[in-house]
Amino acid sequence: MWQQVRQALIDSTARFLTRFANLLPGLAALVIALFLSVISAWILAAVLRRALSSLHFDERLERWGFAGLAEWSPMNSPTRLVSRSIAALVIVSGFLIGVSAFDFQWTSLFVQNVFAYIPAVIAALVVLLLGNVIARFLARSVLIGAVNLNLQYARFLSIGVKWIVIVLSLAMALEHLRIAPGIVELAFGILFGGIVLTLSLAVGLSSKELISKTLERDVKKAPSESVEDPLRHL
Amino acid sequence: MEAGSIPQQAEQTAEETGSADLVVGILAELDSEATLRMCSALRELPGPLRIAILQTGQRESPAPSDSKTTTECASVFFVPSLLANPDGSKGTMTSSETYQSFFAAAEKLEARGSCIIGSKLEGELPERAWQLVRPLSDDSADLVLPRYTSRKFEGLLNAGIIAPMMRALYGKRINNPMGPDVGVSRPLLQRMLAKRAGNAGGTSLHPLASLAPAALCDSLRIVEVHLGARVYRPTDWTTMSSVLADVLSPVFSDVERNASCWQRARVSAPVRALGEPASLGQDTGAVDTGRLIESFQLGNRELQEIWSPVLPPSSLFELRKLALLPQDQFHMPDELWVKIVYDFALAHRLRTISRDHLLRSMTPLYLGWVASYAHDLQTFGALSSERRLERLSLAYEAGKSYLLSRWRWPDRFNP
Repeated sequence: MWQQVRQALIDSTARFLTRFANLLPGLAALVIALFLSVISAWILAAVLRRALSSLHFDERLERWGFAGLAEWSPMNSPTRLVSRSIAALVIVSGFLIGVSAFDFQWTSLFVQNVFAYIPAVIAALVVLLLGNVIARFLARSVLIGAVNLNLQYARFLSIGVKWIVIVLSLAMALEHLRIAPGIVELAFGILFGGIVLTLSLAVGLSSKELISKTLERDVKKAPSESVEDPLRHL
Repeated sequence: MEAGSIPQQAEQTAEETGSADLVVGILAELDSEATLRMCSALRELPGPLRIAILQTGQRESPAPSDSKTTTECASVFFVPSLLANPDGSKGTMTSSETYQSFFAAAEKLEARGSCIIGSKLEGELPERAWQLVRPLSDDSADLVLPRYTSRKFEGLLNAGIIAPMMRALYGKRINNPMGPDVGVSRPLLQRMLAKRAGNAGGTSLHPLASLAPAALCDSLRIVEVHLGARVYRPTDWTTMSSVLADVLSPVFSDVERNASCWQRARVSAPVRALGEPASLGQDTGAVDTGRLIESFQLGNRELQEIWSPVLPPSSLFELRKLALLPQDQFHMPDELWVKIVYDFALAHRLRTISRDHLLRSMTPLYLGWVASYAHDLQTFGALSSERRLERLSLAYEAGKSYLLSRWRWPDRFNP
């Protein structure tokens, strides 16, 4: 009986060692892939940092209205954030390529799914970035236009427009990422509708007094009392 | 402007017409009687001249004159359908397109001088076209500009920004550098065409706004002609910012384009003026400065984030102090206003923010200056508008060194 137990143990050990030995090439490929990706990431990050510094990327970003990004960045430098993000991306790609070297079906499927998801992530990032830029541009246009029309709630209108565009682009990005699409759709509808309703109520209620004063003035003013404005600009 | 920028039908009309010695474009709304009186005045020009009249729109021309040339006086004839959209479309043309179309037609007709009647005058002056065209016909000027008799609150955009800035930069005291009535000689027209052709990749030349700077930079002969009082359009407050942006954009573009020219000019000199100035009745208009000051204060409160990349900290501080003053003490110093205009011109060149946003955001500042100007005139009753504006022009000249420093070292010189 002890002979049989010993034989079973020897067989299972042999099977384990065989399987481990089968893993070794994949493991070696993973280590090499990781090593190469770390080297590439380091070189790429250095080149990117130098290029962005020469373009004064941090100052330009602040001028374009993305000052908040500096607060999220390591050492308050968006250049470092970008270079480190690209480096991390390269290392993760190297890890995934290394993982795909293992001769298992589930690892291949996993890597395929991850790479298939990357275009959606890129599209979502582009949508977010464009949405941000458009939101700031529109907010500034509305602010200037409303101030020139002497509207006291110009700032409020501008912020409302900005958040409408940001919420819209966020919802579009989440749809690209296929994250809880049903919930996102509902939440977006409620939020968007809420913002628009709030803006309408705010504008309508605050204009009520102005409109009634204007109508009262028009009714009381006799035609002969109208005074011509002598200002002529052009 | 391009020589070929008239549609094919208009080209055929130009070829059938042949050439003309002088071309007169009527862009203002003149009735038939005024047009006929103008034609009669034009026939008084000496010499056997052929004068072509171009009109906008599909108005029926008055009864054509005798088209035979005589030895004693000029012959005047109408050329229909020569002013049209460059792309041949039938929509309304903008004023820039109209001027462009007119100059292209004048070039096609090989005229040695052309003038445009672009405004309505109080008490219509039939010799207006004659006065604009005469210095061109006797070859004593390349550019003829109008000098209107204005009331104290008329033409403020020109009086507050365009004219004094051009005086300081280019060294010539021109009252109305942007017309709209203007006379142009063939040499100047051809230089404008050459500049346009050589500027294909850059900002396009505005046919009216670029005339005076082009003539000044090429040291051409400029005269002014007294034309009396002009009828100005009433202010439309809803489009104030669009007007400001549309007018100042080509002016600032020219400042950028002609930087090598205006940096050389040191002092300003007067321009020869022809005719006699008209007198106006007592000018008793009063302005409601309260509304203007409110606009300025609202702009100062809400537009700081837009002004801060454009204006230096010292100017922003001055504006904040100004916004806190009571209305009866509201006064914007000329030096501050001059710095603001120059800083906006610089920001327009550097594209610190979108150019359209930049110029529209200037509206509350401009209204603040108007309020201060009106307040000065109303407070100091004896101060005439001419003296007040002359003081402003001198401030522009004195502030030119500030513009030069900021223009040459925009990052380093930022007081």
